[in-house]
Amino acid sequence: MKSIMSRMKGEGFTGGLMSLPYIVYFSFFIAFPIGFSFILIFHKWNIITPMEWVGLRNFIRLFSDAQFFKAILNTLTFLVIHIPLQIIVALLLAVGLNQKIRFRGFFRSLYFMPVIVSGVVITIMWRQLYGYETGLLNMMLLQFGLDKIPWINHPTYAMPSIAIMATWKNVGLYVVLFLVGLQNIPGFLYEAANIDGAGPVQKFWYITLPALNNTMVLVMILSTIGGFSLFIEPFVMTGGGPMNSTLSAMLYIYNQAFYFGHMGYSATLGFFFACIVLLVILIQKKVVERD
Amino acid sequence: MLFLNQLFRSRGNGYIRHFILVMIIAGFTSSCSNDKEASTGSKTGKTIITYWCSSNAHEIALARELVEAWNKGDHPVQVKMQPIPASQSSEEVLLAAIAGGTTPDICSNMWPGAMDEFVNAGGLVRLDQFPDFYDYNIERVPEVLMETFAASDGHYYQLPWKTNPTMIMYNKRMFRDAGIEELPRTYSEFLEAGAKLTQDRDGDGHIDQWLGYRNIKPIWWQRFFDYYTFYVAASGGLTLFDGDELVFENEASIAVFELFRQIYKNGYFPITEFTGDQFIQGNLAISITGPYAISHVEKFKPEGFEYDFFPVPVPDDHEGLLYTYGDHKNIAIFSTTEHPEETWEFAKYLISKQADLRLLELCSQIPIRKDLSIDPYFSEYFNQRTMMTKFAEQAILTRGVDGAAELKEIFDAISQEFEACAIFDARTPTESIHRAVERSKVIIEWNRAK
Amino acid sequence: MRGIKNLPLYLALTVGGMIFAYPFVWMFFATFKPEMEITGIGLWSADMSIDNYRLVMTKIPIARALLNSLFVSICVTASVLFWGSIVGYALARLKFLGRELILAVILFTMVIPFQITLIPMYILMVKFGWVDTYLSLIVPGMINSFGILLFRQFFRDVPQDLIDAARLDGCNEFQILFRIMWPLSKPVLITVGILAFMGSWNDVLWPLLVIRLETLMTMPQIVTLFAIGGQAEAQIGVQLAAATLLAAPIIILYSFFQKYFIESMASSGLKN
Repeated sequence: MKSIMSRMKGEGFTGGLMSLPYIVYFSFFIAFPIGFSFILIFHKWNIITPMEWVGLRNFIRLFSDAQFFKAILNTLTFLVIHIPLQIIVALLLAVGLNQKIRFRGFFRSLYFMPVIVSGVVITIMWRQLYGYETGLLNMMLLQFGLDKIPWINHPTYAMPSIAIMATWKNVGLYVVLFLVGLQNIPGFLYEAANIDGAGPVQKFWYITLPALNNTMVLVMILSTIGGFSLFIEPFVMTGGGPMNSTLSAMLYIYNQAFYFGHMGYSATLGFFFACIVLLVILIQKKVVERD
Repeated sequence: MLFLNQLFRSRGNGYIRHFILVMIIAGFTSSCSNDKEASTGSKTGKTIITYWCSSNAHEIALARELVEAWNKGDHPVQVKMQPIPASQSSEEVLLAAIAGGTTPDICSNMWPGAMDEFVNAGGLVRLDQFPDFYDYNIERVPEVLMETFAASDGHYYQLPWKTNPTMIMYNKRMFRDAGIEELPRTYSEFLEAGAKLTQDRDGDGHIDQWLGYRNIKPIWWQRFFDYYTFYVAASGGLTLFDGDELVFENEASIAVFELFRQIYKNGYFPITEFTGDQFIQGNLAISITGPYAISHVEKFKPEGFEYDFFPVPVPDDHEGLLYTYGDHKNIAIFSTTEHPEETWEFAKYLISKQADLRLLELCSQIPIRKDLSIDPYFSEYFNQRTMMTKFAEQAILTRGVDGAAELKEIFDAISQEFEACAIFDARTPTESIHRAVERSKVIIEWNRAK
Repeated sequence: MRGIKNLPLYLALTVGGMIFAYPFVWMFFATFKPEMEITGIGLWSADMSIDNYRLVMTKIPIARALLNSLFVSICVTASVLFWGSIVGYALARLKFLGRELILAVILFTMVIPFQITLIPMYILMVKFGWVDTYLSLIVPGMINSFGILLFRQFFRDVPQDLIDAARLDGCNEFQILFRIMWPLSKPVLITVGILAFMGSWNDVLWPLLVIRLETLMTMPQIVTLFAIGGQAEAQIGVQLAAATLLAAPIIILYSFFQKYFIESMASSGLKN
């Protein structure tokens, strides 16, 4: 009975049936929102009163919105500090862990711990560490006879501080990725280098680094995507200050939408920002793949 | 809980079980979503209305007590309370709730500045439709003040509840130790006091005692308690608008920015973010705050802690009455309610004499009542508490905020400039005020453009 | 010999480990300290107490939030596994019209930043009347493009003989998927499961938007609100206690299943 049915309806039917859930999901939660946001772009709307057609005025406003460009710039600043820091630290730890040592698993899971813990916890915790007057870090600096640093209370330091915190949180993941990459490097390459009399630095520079190129691309793209959605850290820690130095693009979009009720405008900002994200990732891919 | 156990156990082999699992999940989720309607329905034979109160601990305690007493009494509706789920501000929550149709029946944390927006959206029940609305309010609210609570259509959508005049709370012992005999009334005296009070007590080369502290996060409502309070005082009771016109580009605003610039420049207020309460720990000499601080300090103060209040300082050449910012919070009923009459009964209960006395006792906040200082019902309370008497007297000389829909954004613009000028000294006060006004004009133009 | 040579390495790794672990340890101990002593560097205090935890419990319904979070995350995880494997199977093993198109769409949607869809999604929830229900937390997460791709990749490597044999036995495609494929797919089930669970468990922004009812809030949400709202009364101890309670379930799970966690999270990067 069953086999007759399945033969009658065939693979095509079953395949369509089985992928139907995705099609339904896609149309409601991906296609519709994108389409809707495209409509919103041309409207002024505070969700509670009717929409109002404004044509391209949201874009005109966007291009004269200095704060938004500041927010994009801040997000890029974050990336410029965060990505190299992340790669260097992760690479160092991964190379360390890749030696023949005991407790490798233990160290690896230790470094990985912040990755799994919610960003909220990390931010509440680091708010205590970063405090200027009573924070743990400044207390330590004082103990060593150094000066206190206004980690999150000065426009110059605030974004780098958030980038350090984000690195601390995510680096464990990239350590693991690099470890996988390191273990995939064939041993004979090093043996050959030994015969040629290469030192450890040369081996690292001429064998390890080139072999990790793919992982490097991956780490860069992953942290770029993560960095562009920077939100909860400044939201809880600084509210975007001091002097808008930690106002990330996502935080600004959130504020426009949910503090000030400019749904149409924030959809425009979101759309514009998403284009920038795509552009940056495409450029990254192009540049790195060419190497 | 049992359900969750089953869910864990049923994970395993056999695809039928997986189907069942999904069915259960689907069933459970939809039954959960009906939860809310079921509870507002008549499960116990009584209607339930939802009440949101402010999210600070004292007001939660008050709301809990009042609601419990109400639910024990013989009323046609039962009340379920929860603190307003606010993160940075209540208004963002209420706005989204109105949009989502998930407003409670009644809320007692309504900021008059946001009312226009809510009224325009049709989110609120008109309160003067209830026949006894005026009876209640004529007895309670001073006539001059009453008008300020009317919406732009002339009707009333909020029930005036409480006001919190902002004053300066100070640590008496620290003032004594610093040799300050007279409380500062002018900016020069205030700065002088700052110089004396800001100290390095343990001599390690780092300041560890300050005049005061303000949260420097650029959150719009934080400016109520530095710029706006001092502005209302300095201008002799002006607000940001006069009718439709922005009027805060004036001497008073500039003087206030200059004052705070001096304060931060000299380090009288630290540029930092404290996470604990440094006033109670004895590291700050003053705090710019309202009467609610009394409940807070009483709850956490160490032994022998002495404190009192004085009015907001004014520019040296100031003449006339001493106004201050009054943080009004009112009660509103949302149009999502299915029981407006019953909710109105509960609203009246919240502003009854008994409830007002408990508001004083539990939260040390000032109910809006014109006879507060003469009514014998409250006199015992005020006789024992001279600090609260100060606030009750100051309450007459307060100014709230304008009811403009763009107010949050205007305060945000002021906040940006306050930070740039007063805290980080990147611009002059005149320049900053001018920029804030220009930015506000752009915001208004954008929002009102057709 | 090697032990001595590696001493600096061990030292560096230990210092590194301290940097990652000490803040957690410090936070844990700080939650037991009285308010005035929290800012000290050390761990111990003369009068340790559980007052902070007691206060958190009375101030916010955190136990209820834990159940909400568990319920939501388990539903999302189960659903991602269920639907993800179905779609993944179809894409991997069945030939049908539009298969390549669907695959391309899935790949494309993975690069769309969620920033675009955030506000329309909120409005969609409003229109469906799902705001302040579990549905708004669960349904948008029920299918995960990345999960589908992982399943597809895994199912493609299953030998065709197995499937043919099952078909001869009269199994339909659903039976093949759940009777033959699932028992073989433990690694990919674990990976997708952990990723879905973690993603749902740690999400804050979305619950902040769609849930306003205290009894329905998820744990990260309620802790965030507690930390920046007024309920903590500026007391650090209770904020840290709330954060500790939020971190505890995941850290406990992690300490039992570290290997799986690390492999899953790593694969989230590698398989792209």
